[in-house]
Amino acid sequence: MRKILNVLPALLLLVVASSFRQAGADWNIGTGYSVKFSTSGDVGGIFRTLTGAIHFDENSPATASFNVAVDINSINTGNGVMNTHAKSAEWFDGAKYPKITFVSSKVVKAGAGYQAIGTLTMHGVTKPFTLPFTFQRSGAGGLFHAAFTVNRNDYGIGKPGDVDDNISLELSVPVTKK
Amino acid sequence: MLKKLLLLGVVSGILSGILSIIYAKIYTHYLGVDFSTIATPVKIIVSSLVGCLLAAIGYWLLHKVLKSKTEIVFNLLFTVLSFVSILGAIATKLPLELQSPELFPWLVLPMHLFPVLGWLTLEPIFFPSQKA
Repeated sequence: MRKILNVLPALLLLVVASSFRQAGADWNIGTGYSVKFSTSGDVGGIFRTLTGAIHFDENSPATASFNVAVDINSINTGNGVMNTHAKSAEWFDGAKYPKITFVSSKVVKAGAGYQAIGTLTMHGVTKPFTLPFTFQRSGAGGLFHAAFTVNRNDYGIGKPGDVDDNISLELSVPVTKK
Repeated sequence: MLKKLLLLGVVSGILSGILSIIYAKIYTHYLGVDFSTIATPVKIIVSSLVGCLLAAIGYWLLHKVLKSKTEIVFNLLFTVLSFVSILGAIATKLPLELQSPELFPWLVLPMHLFPVLGWLTLEPIFFPSQKA
């Protein structure tokens, strides 16, 4: 009995700590997010659909994890012909590879922001990728912001030379606590 | 002649503008897409009017050169240019917040043809002698 009583506080602490971690660090992707892409030319647009699981605590980035996906078929360049072209086999091949996914394996603090180190999968190609981002907490919610470039040739997207090789991406993702 | 041509331009421009607005309303209603922020009624009327007025001036200038062959050449030219202008609509980049830009060309495609249709329909009323 004494043994049980000795272990009980530790168990309680573990349960409390675990529930605190769950409540404080799991986030739902809120409405009003934006996933923009651009080039130096007139090719640019947005992806309308972003889904995924975000676990992040700014006080403990080592415990963070991201598993997010962008729906290729939600692309909008503002032009119907370009949308169809972007989803075609020549570019993203949305029918065969309907998602762009990023899965983090580690998150580290980097200057004023953070870096999520993981793998980026596009067009059926998975490569190691470091995603720099910032997080701003506001009340019960927060805002993730990331701006980075991706070389589309690394993922076999499009023909070299048609459009800039490096595509700039900017994500702004408001989140609410789960 | 120029006065009559300009009047034909104004009437066919307004008529095609009204037709375009009606078509836009039907299109929006049945397809559930709304491009009214881009193709506003004012823009539709003004562009139809400008198109038909330019056609009137074009006809007048052509007539100075071609005389009796004006109508054949003008009608062909007006029709071809109307078709070519559709390419501009297909290449238009819409604001990103607008859904389904794929459906935009199908909205404006007939609108680009209404002015020439209006002109060809009304021309015999304004210039009946040429048809005799």
